Amino acid sequence: MLIDIQDVYKIYGEGTEAEVRALDGVTLSIERGEFVAVVGQSGSGKSTLMNILGCLDVPTRGTYLIDGQDVDELTDAQLSHIRNKQIGFIFQSYNLIQGLNAYENVELPLIYQNVPIFRRKDLVMEAMERVGIADRWKHRPSEMSGGQQQRVAIARAIATKPPIIMADEPTGALDSHTGKEVLYFLQELNKEGSTVILITHDNSIAATARRVVRISDGKIIEDREQEVDWL
Amino acid sequence: MKFGQAMKMAFKSISGSKVRSFLTMLGIIIGVASVMTIVSIMMGMTKQSLAYYEKAGSNRLEVYAYLYNGNSVFNDLYDYCLYMGDYVQGVTPAGNLSATVVYGDKNSSSMDNPPQMYLGSDQYSIVNNFQIAHGRDLSKIDVDNYSNVCVMGARAAQNFFDFTDPVGKEVLVNGLPFTVIGVYMEKDPNNDYSMDNIILFPYTAARNLGQIVDMSQVYVKCRDSNSVKQAKAMIEGFLTGICGDPNDYTNQKGYFYTYSDDQWQESMNEQAAMMSLVLGGIAGISLLVGGIGIMNIMLVTVTERTREIGIRRAIGAQRRSIVTQFLIEAGTICGIGGIFGVLLGTILTLIGGKLLLGGMILWPSLGITLGAVLFSVVLGVIFGLYPAIKASGLQPVVALRAE
Ligand SMILES: Nc1ncnc2c1ncn2[C@@H]1O[C@H](COP(=O)(O)OP(=O)(O)OP(=O)(O)O)[C@@H](O)[C@H]1O
Ligand SMILES: [Mg+2]
Repeated sequence: MLIDIQDVYKIYGEGTEAEVRALDGVTLSIERGEFVAVVGQSGSGKSTLMNILGCLDVPTRGTYLIDGQDVDELTDAQLSHIRNKQIGFIFQSYNLIQGLNAYENVELPLIYQNVPIFRRKDLVMEAMERVGIADRWKHRPSEMSGGQQQRVAIARAIATKPPIIMADEPTGALDSHTGKEVLYFLQELNKEGSTVILITHDNSIAATARRVVRISDGKIIEDREQEVDWL
Repeated sequence: MKFGQAMKMAFKSISGSKVRSFLTMLGIIIGVASVMTIVSIMMGMTKQSLAYYEKAGSNRLEVYAYLYNGNSVFNDLYDYCLYMGDYVQGVTPAGNLSATVVYGDKNSSSMDNPPQMYLGSDQYSIVNNFQIAHGRDLSKIDVDNYSNVCVMGARAAQNFFDFTDPVGKEVLVNGLPFTVIGVYMEKDPNNDYSMDNIILFPYTAARNLGQIVDMSQVYVKCRDSNSVKQAKAMIEGFLTGICGDPNDYTNQKGYFYTYSDDQWQESMNEQAAMMSLVLGGIAGISLLVGGIGIMNIMLVTVTERTREIGIRRAIGAQRRSIVTQFLIEAGTICGIGGIFGVLLGTILTLIGGKLLLGGMILWPSLGITLGAVLFSVVLGVIFGLYPAIKASGLQPVVALRAE
């Protein structure tokens, strides 16, 4: 089992008047090579779930095993290593570093991996060519459109060839055509063997995934397999 | 991540945010340069007034004595000082001559900086720290014989004779020929109002020019500061014998007082202590202002930087890598700022010395420079490191959400 969470809670302001149960006892397993869409209304806890799965946040209670390892027992260095090598993140707001150009942004995770420079260049260009943004390598995020920025973000996520891709509303800020391209990349990556976790509130987007997990008020209310709408 | 990589990353970040880097540097440059300049110029002022008295000669006793009958006490005092040879090196009247000195087409009354003309004894040079460069000094014989001779300071000699040798030449003093017998060595260069711009005449020669010389003011040069005290006490005793008790209102004979450099030194020391208090205050305020500038820039960008740290953490940067990168970044920016600050401060100090301290070549003090650089750099590094230490300790998702 690649990802295995058992009875996970994320509670903000526990015990106070303003207590929010963003995750309210979630149990979920994801196998290697799956394409899972997590759907639900705004505020249902999708992002909270992804942040915990991506080791960007810690649950209030419950256990999380990634590749059989209990995340709770890992050091900062080990968690950083997992985020760096195992997971590629794609965010709704791209999260590129403004002071760096496209090439440098894509290169960043490889630097933290200590990949030697000559190898880095190949990997960066390969990822950028793959998402069709190689000709913009010199541009700063502020000099690119939203779609272009999201491609750079995808290139950054796939440059390290991570086994898991996590995307939180990756098409949220894009028009439907550009959004479709992004979803196409995710399907391609999944075909090549990557595990993809896609967060969305849009059922038509969830249709691109083999498995749909629906959450509401921090609880999983549906978990089913479906026919895939190949792009 | 390796250190070399952290360094490259830091440099990329510096050049990637030029405005931020520049503003931070500017805070440091201004802080360092202003402290250096202000403190150095103030120190230069204090040093200059100290140096003036050093060059003029230390361990001096100023004696002011006269008799109501109009007779001079100088000759008696001169002899008494010879008798006090263990303590006293020389004695001279401090008289001024107002006269016009002409040589060829050079005329003292039409010069930009006309020379000071002094009437002295053969010991004038000892008392005032002059040394003969060529020719000879005034002698006792010149004084006793009312000789029409004079000795020139280096600057005065240059003003009258350019670079030719004045020794043996004749100048006209109020129309009367005087022979230049010697030139003193330069002791006060780089100063428009140089102590070298003088002409010294035997005090007796004033009579030949039909002038009456006020001999009541006398300088006595003592061997050391202990001698000053001894000589002061002895001279006071001696003068009480001649002029009577100066504190006695019924005294009909005369009046005197003595004043030593020691007294002056004391008040100077008090002033210097006061000055360093003021200096400390000014330096503190300048550093504070510079520091607040640095702090501002660093804190204004802290949100942006916190988000950046969140991104770096999300893609796998360890806490250590981020702190290392930010440390190098802040250190580099502050170091470069410090270097430029020192350069600017040095230039401003030199300009300030030129404009405010009579053309003095003033270098900034090493202590102040190091202090200012150290303070600014440490402050800059602390505030540069602050977001790194704070944000890298957060859960990445919290840093990413920073607003
Ligand atoms: N830092 C926080 N403090 C308090 N409550 C929070 C915090 N973060 C999230 N929440 C709450 O947790 C719940 C789930 O938030 P989450 O961001 O996971 O929703 P979401 O499903 O991703 O919604 P959306 O589709 O709008 O992105 C929400 O009710 C939100 O208000
Ligand atoms: Mg969300």
